[in-house]
Amino acid sequence: MKIEIFGTGCRKCKKLERNVETAVKELDLKVNIEKVRDINEIASRGVMMTPAIAVDGEVKASGKLLRPEDIKKLLK
Amino acid sequence: MGLNMLDILYAALMSGVTAVYHYLSEHVLTCLIPAFFMAGAIAAFVKKEAILKYFGPKVKKSISYPIASISGAILAVCSCTILPLFAGLYKKGSGIGPATAFLYSGPAINVLAIVYTANVLGYQLGLARAVAAIAMAFVIASVMSYVFKNHDSENDLKSVNDIAGDDTEPERPLWIKLSFFGSLVGILVFGASGLGWVPKLAVVYVLTLFVSVILIYHYERHEVTQWGYETWDLTVKIFPVLIAGTFIVGVIAHILPPETFRPYLGNNDLGSAFLGAVIGAILYMPTLLEVPIIGTTFGYSSGIMGDAPALSLLLAGPSLSLPNMIVLFRIMEFKQWLAYIVIVVALSTLMGFTYGLIVG
Repeated sequence: MKIEIFGTGCRKCKKLERNVETAVKELDLKVNIEKVRDINEIASRGVMMTPAIAVDGEVKASGKLLRPEDIKKLLK
Repeated sequence: MGLNMLDILYAALMSGVTAVYHYLSEHVLTCLIPAFFMAGAIAAFVKKEAILKYFGPKVKKSISYPIASISGAILAVCSCTILPLFAGLYKKGSGIGPATAFLYSGPAINVLAIVYTANVLGYQLGLARAVAAIAMAFVIASVMSYVFKNHDSENDLKSVNDIAGDDTEPERPLWIKLSFFGSLVGILVFGASGLGWVPKLAVVYVLTLFVSVILIYHYERHEVTQWGYETWDLTVKIFPVLIAGTFIVGVIAHILPPETFRPYLGNNDLGSAFLGAVIGAILYMPTLLEVPIIGTTFGYSSGIMGDAPALSLLLAGPSLSLPNMIVLFRIMEFKQWLAYIVIVVALSTLMGFTYGLIVG
């Protein structure tokens, strides 16, 4: 499984990165976490609002800071 | 000699402390705290997706332009949120007009900045800032889409709807939303008004109670938490920088007195307005710090800086800065990038100059 986190480095984006790490650790999953920081790359993926998260290439949420609980639901 | 140096250092630091005291103590309770709650409520409760729908190239200009021009007040408070949104709109089929209008209006007309400007630098300049910024966003949209007609047809017309996120907000009647935001506006207005302490606190107290009642009966727990989170997030993002920045502004004012700038920014002529716009376009100013920079560094509050350059700086400042130009350069085509910067500087100059004629 691959998780991508989109964010240009803002506070919320970093918080989301931490929340994802927490969720992954708690579920004990083997996933590949990739941080997409380049603004052109973010835009070309159709993400308008950061922070955003994609699971296996599909954008699941954008402009929202998901809590670890929310992220766990996405990963199941 | 050593003692003398210490004296100078002490005086400079005291100047910084005085600036912090002056800019913050008088404004935190009645202006900044309610404004942060208001901005937090906007971030938490206003559905951004609903607004983005109006930015597509197929939406009529009479609808999309005005919405893009005022959307800054609703969508974001600092340019770090604006840039990804703009990149998305610019590349994925939004009209170039609304995209640039939004790019400009976002940082230029946010609630925090307008309220703080009106409170500290005078309501006239605050109002002028809001009105001129909205008008400018509209003109920028029109000029950009006229000059770069081809951009929109070349772009793939992927609808913004497809990219927008899901909508999970529980339904609630409009009057509840309106009375919620109305009460917050009421708190802001009464808090900043010139009323005496007793009537002011009474009104704010009643309105706060009213807001709590609405929240308890009509909003869910997690939404209220979200509001608190957004408010807190904005506060930690902006407040420490504002305090540190204001301190530095005070220290600089001691070393480099605002009198220095009088020959360049002291008039309401076209040259002063242009210089104000150029300084605003280049200088990076953290959110809200433009207010003490204008008030103290350039001496607007002590009557040194003219009204024209002050407004020009306020109009060009928050939307443009050197770091922000560099990011934009990577997103936009060169010609459009250049046109955007030139238009912002030119319009800021004109708006400031006109304002100078009116009030001066």
